Amino acid sequence: MSNEQSRTTLQRPWQLVAQREVSTKIRDKTFIGSTAFMLILVLAAVIIPALISGSGGPDKIAVLNDAGVQVVQQADAISGGDSYEATRVADAAEAERLVSDGDAKAALLPGDSGYVVLGDDRVDSGIQSNLREAVVNLGMEQNAARAGLTPDQLRANTQLQERLLNPGPLPEVVADFVNIGLALVFYMTALGFGMMIAQSVVQEKESRVVEILAAAVPIRALLWGKVIGNTVLALSQIVVIAAASLIGLILTDQADILKVIAPVAGWFVVFFVLGFVALAGLWAVAGSLATRQEDLGSTTLPGQMILMIPFFFSVFAGASAKSVASFIPIASSMAMPGRMLTEDVPLWQPLVAILILLAATVLIVRLGARLYERTLLQTGRRLGYREALAIKAG
Amino acid sequence: MLSVAGLTRRFGDHLALDDVSFDVVPGRMTGFVGANGAGKTTTMRIILGVLGATAGEVRWNGSPLTHQVRRDFGYMPEERGLYPKMKIRDQLVFFGRLHGLDPARAGERTDKILGRLGLTERAGDILETLSLGNQQRVQIAAALVHEPIALVMDEPFSGLDPLAVDSMVDLLREEVTPEVPVLFSSHQLELVERLCDDLVVLSRGKVVAAGPVAELAAGPTATYRMVMDGDAGWLRDIEGIKVRDVDGATALFDVAEAGLDQLVLQQAISRGSVLEFGPERVALSDVFREATR
Repeated sequence: MSNEQSRTTLQRPWQLVAQREVSTKIRDKTFIGSTAFMLILVLAAVIIPALISGSGGPDKIAVLNDAGVQVVQQADAISGGDSYEATRVADAAEAERLVSDGDAKAALLPGDSGYVVLGDDRVDSGIQSNLREAVVNLGMEQNAARAGLTPDQLRANTQLQERLLNPGPLPEVVADFVNIGLALVFYMTALGFGMMIAQSVVQEKESRVVEILAAAVPIRALLWGKVIGNTVLALSQIVVIAAASLIGLILTDQADILKVIAPVAGWFVVFFVLGFVALAGLWAVAGSLATRQEDLGSTTLPGQMILMIPFFFSVFAGASAKSVASFIPIASSMAMPGRMLTEDVPLWQPLVAILILLAATVLIVRLGARLYERTLLQTGRRLGYREALAIKAG
Repeated sequence: MLSVAGLTRRFGDHLALDDVSFDVVPGRMTGFVGANGAGKTTTMRIILGVLGATAGEVRWNGSPLTHQVRRDFGYMPEERGLYPKMKIRDQLVFFGRLHGLDPARAGERTDKILGRLGLTERAGDILETLSLGNQQRVQIAAALVHEPIALVMDEPFSGLDPLAVDSMVDLLREEVTPEVPVLFSSHQLELVERLCDDLVVLSRGKVVAAGPVAELAAGPTATYRMVMDGDAGWLRDIEGIKVRDVDGATALFDVAEAGLDQLVLQQAISRGSVLEFGPERVALSDVFREATR
C-alpha cells in the first residue's frame, strides 16, 4: 500500500505515550500549581532560617576588658570571621545577666589561670573551642615574649594539621534537616506523581480510550510510557526545585552546605529513580484495578502505605533501625541518602542497598506489568489485588 | 483479506463464541449482525487483539495476524472513548503517530480528515466541549487517520441522525480504498442492507449465515413472484415447483431446480399476459429473523 513510505519512521510506541504524558502534564494547571507550591515551600525552607539566624549577626560574647576583646577577635578570626562579636560590660554580674537573658551567647571572664567561659545552660561547643584556641594562642604569645621568643619560634614544630579519611558529617541540626528533607522530597514526589499516574490510568479506562490504545500498541508499551514519562517529569521537577534552592543557598551565603550535599546528590538520584520506578509500576496497577476515579482511594491504599510507613520510619527511627531501613527497598530510597550525609557510611552499604533495590524494582515492575496487562481492559468493576493476581492471562 | 478461523471464546462456563469462521474481503463492506449478546463485540475485540481467544485464530492474507500488521488496522470500539480533555487535533495526531505515522504525515492526515468532517475550526478545541455527534465524528476520524489497511467498527452509526450517517458513509467511501477490508456491526438492518456487500449473521456465538447480501436476500431456495392477467391456479399442476400462495392473478412459488423458472414463464406466456415475473427479494430483517430463530 502507498502508506508504507509514511510508516518508515516508526517511533517506539512507549516514547509516544511518554511524550503525551509529559506534554499533557506540563499544561495541566494542577500540576503547575503543585510544582509552584513545592518551589515556594522549598525556597522558604532555604531562605527563612537564613534570614532568622542572619538577623542576629555574629554571636555576642560579653567581656570585661580589652584583653577579653582581643581574645574574642582572635576567636572570630579562627572561626573564619563574622562569627563572634565582643560586648563590653562593666562587671561579672552584668555579664551573667546578659548571658542568662540570652542577649549574649557566652561571657568571657578572667579566671584563676586564664579565663572562664560563662554559659547559660551550656556553652556552644564551637564557641568554647574557638575561645580556647584564642586564649591559648594569645597567652602563649605573651608568655613567649616574656621568655624572649618570637611567636614563630614559639610555634615551631607545634602545628597539628587535620586530615580526615572520611570527611566529617554536617552539624547535627543541619544534618537532621537535610535528612528529613531528602526523605520528604522522595516521599512527596513519589506520592504526588503516584497519584497522578493512577489517575491518568483510570482516566483512560473511564473514557474507554484504553480500548483503542490497547489495539494500537502493546499494553506493556503503555505501562512503560507512563512510568518513564512520569519519572522524567518527577526528576525534572526535582531538578527545578534543586536549582531554585541552590540559588537560594547562594544568595543567603549558605553555599557551604552544598559541599556536603554534592557527593551524596548522585546517590540520591540513583536511589530516587529506582525507588520511583518500582512505585510507579504499583501506582499504574492501582489505576488499572479501578474503574472510576472514586475507586482510587481504596486501590492506592497499599501504595500509600508502602510509602508512608518507611517514610516515618526513616525519619523518626533510631540510628540502628535507620541502618536496617536503608537496605530495605523503597525505604532505602528515603533512608540511605540521608544516612550517607549524617554518618560515615562505608561504600559497600549504598552499593548493596542499590543492588537490593534494583532487584526489587525489577520484580515489582514485572509483577506490575503482569497485573496491568490483565486488569487494564477489565472495565466492569473495581478489582482487588488478590483477585487480579488470580486472573489468568488473556 | 482478513479472516477469522475457528474462533472460540469462553468466559467461565459461558461459551461466547463457538467455532466462528468467516472472511472479510478487501474492497467489500462486510456487515456483522446478530442479536445483543450474540458475540459480535467479542469477535471484534479478538480481531483487534484486545481480547484473547480460547481457540482459533485471526488471519491476515492467510497467515496469523501479527501485532505489527494489526498496528495498521483501524478500530472503532463499541464503547466510544478518546481523551476528553485533549485538543482534537493533538488527539488525532497522537493516534496517527501511535499507529506508526511520522509527525508530518499525521498532521497532514488529521487536517485533511478534520476538513472533510467540517471540524477544521474546532481543531484546537478540547474534545469534551463538542456535541456528542461531533465527538462521534472525531471517533471515526481516529479510526481513519492512519490510513488503515483494514477497518473494524463496532456499531459505528449508533446514535447518529440519518444525515450524520450519510456524511459518515460518504467519508468511509472516500477514505476506504479498494484494498481495505471493512467489517462493521450494526443493529440498523436497513442500513446494513444499503451499505454492505457481504453479511455475516451471528447467533448465540455461532455463524448462522454468511455470504453476499444479494444471495442471502434471495433465500435458500429461489422464491418467485408472478402476476398475470388471469387466474394463476394452473401453477399447482406443474411438477418441480412448490406453490406458496395463489391469490387470483398473483402467485408466489419456490423453484426446486435452476431453469424451471424459465419453463414456468413460457407456460405463463402461452396462457395469457404476464405482468410481473421475477425472484422475490426477501427483506434482510426476514433473513436475520430466519437465521437467528
